Amino acid sequence: MELLELIDRQNHRKLYVQLYDIIKKKIEDKEWSVGFRIPIEQELCKVFNVSRSTVRSAILELVRQGYLTRQQGRGTFVSKKVISDKLTMFTTFGELMLDEGIDFSTDVLAQTIMMPVDDLSDKLNISGDKHIIYIKRLRKVDYTPILIQETYIPFHICPPILEEDVQKNSLFELLEKKHGIHLTGVRNYFDVKYLNADEGMLLDSSESSPALVLTQHFFSGETQIMYMRSIKKPGRFELLIEFEKKDR
Amino acid sequence: MSKSKVVKDLMIDVFEYPHVPYWFTISQVIKIIKVSFVSSKKYPEPLAILVFDEKYNLMGTIVLKDILSGLEPRFMRPTEKAQAYIQEEAELSIIWDTLFNTESKKLAEKPVSEIMVPAKYFVEPDDSITKAAYLMIHHDLVLLPVLENKKKFVGLIRLVEIFDEISNAILKE
Repeated sequence: MELLELIDRQNHRKLYVQLYDIIKKKIEDKEWSVGFRIPIEQELCKVFNVSRSTVRSAILELVRQGYLTRQQGRGTFVSKKVISDKLTMFTTFGELMLDEGIDFSTDVLAQTIMMPVDDLSDKLNISGDKHIIYIKRLRKVDYTPILIQETYIPFHICPPILEEDVQKNSLFELLEKKHGIHLTGVRNYFDVKYLNADEGMLLDSSESSPALVLTQHFFSGETQIMYMRSIKKPGRFELLIEFEKKDR
Repeated sequence: MSKSKVVKDLMIDVFEYPHVPYWFTISQVIKIIKVSFVSSKKYPEPLAILVFDEKYNLMGTIVLKDILSGLEPRFMRPTEKAQAYIQEEAELSIIWDTLFNTESKKLAEKPVSEIMVPAKYFVEPDDSITKAAYLMIHHDLVLLPVLENKKKFVGLIRLVEIFDEISNAILKE
């Protein structure tokens, strides 16, 4: 087996995630076709120069995601990927609005790193000493600001997000399609609040006017990967959350 | 010094220290220090917080002394009078003690941009250890950011590592 893709030890992303990506790519590129028996743990350790536990974690995740199947006593094989029977969700502002042909624009007000203060470590289910990527965007339709979105992603989940263009791209697309992090669930909370001075200024509304607050916790399996808080002022546009059940 | 080590050989990862945006308050940073250092019993030298702007550009650093300085009520500062020389009355600190709950707690809501030491000086990854030492000596710094091409923040270099390297060179037979 050629050492085509090397594990980059300088890369912040966990080694097993890198190995996961490399093997996933081999499967998607059909280099390892359906039914192919993948090399044994020992061989993978040697070729990629990683520990057994790294190999095990990567294989485990590939099995969980449906790329590989284990057959007791016979080995691990590339399987035909099955789409899960869960509900899929569309909530990216961009995706919703584009459907109706409405022209919207985004201002990226912040894309930086912080530590989880106040109750953020509980909201993200991480310890207080972990760095978080913070992205703040103002969504406008026909140049009228209507939505403030603040997103918090633990840095170790996807370090490259810090440098991605989040003005043009949807975070969901970046996470799923570019970085292989699959959103499997979301928890939505709805509330009403009165805008504070800063929020009022951003949304071009008076302080203390009412607004909708949508807080969302996004999960990839058991891990919470993102916390997003959106504030929308009353007005011409509605927020849509759509669920679609996918058949096998 | 032999083997000419450069800054990049001694620099540490920027994520060894907490990062905060400049709009965080002093009290938020105090909580972060408690969580990141005190509770996990990590006491690196120096105990510092890095301050960034919205675009993740390094703006400055904060050490414990800067926090105390930010909590000191304004009237404690010596005023500069034209004719008289500056008097420092440490005994006046008793007034700070009594006003702690009102004054200092209010001051703790200031943004950390007002108390940080601006990141004016930096080194490049290929700069010599002695250049870093020079900057630290002459500008009284214990921490220097390492910037690639004057822009990209790639690491931090600390007094402890510089001292270690220079002292090894001195002690070598």
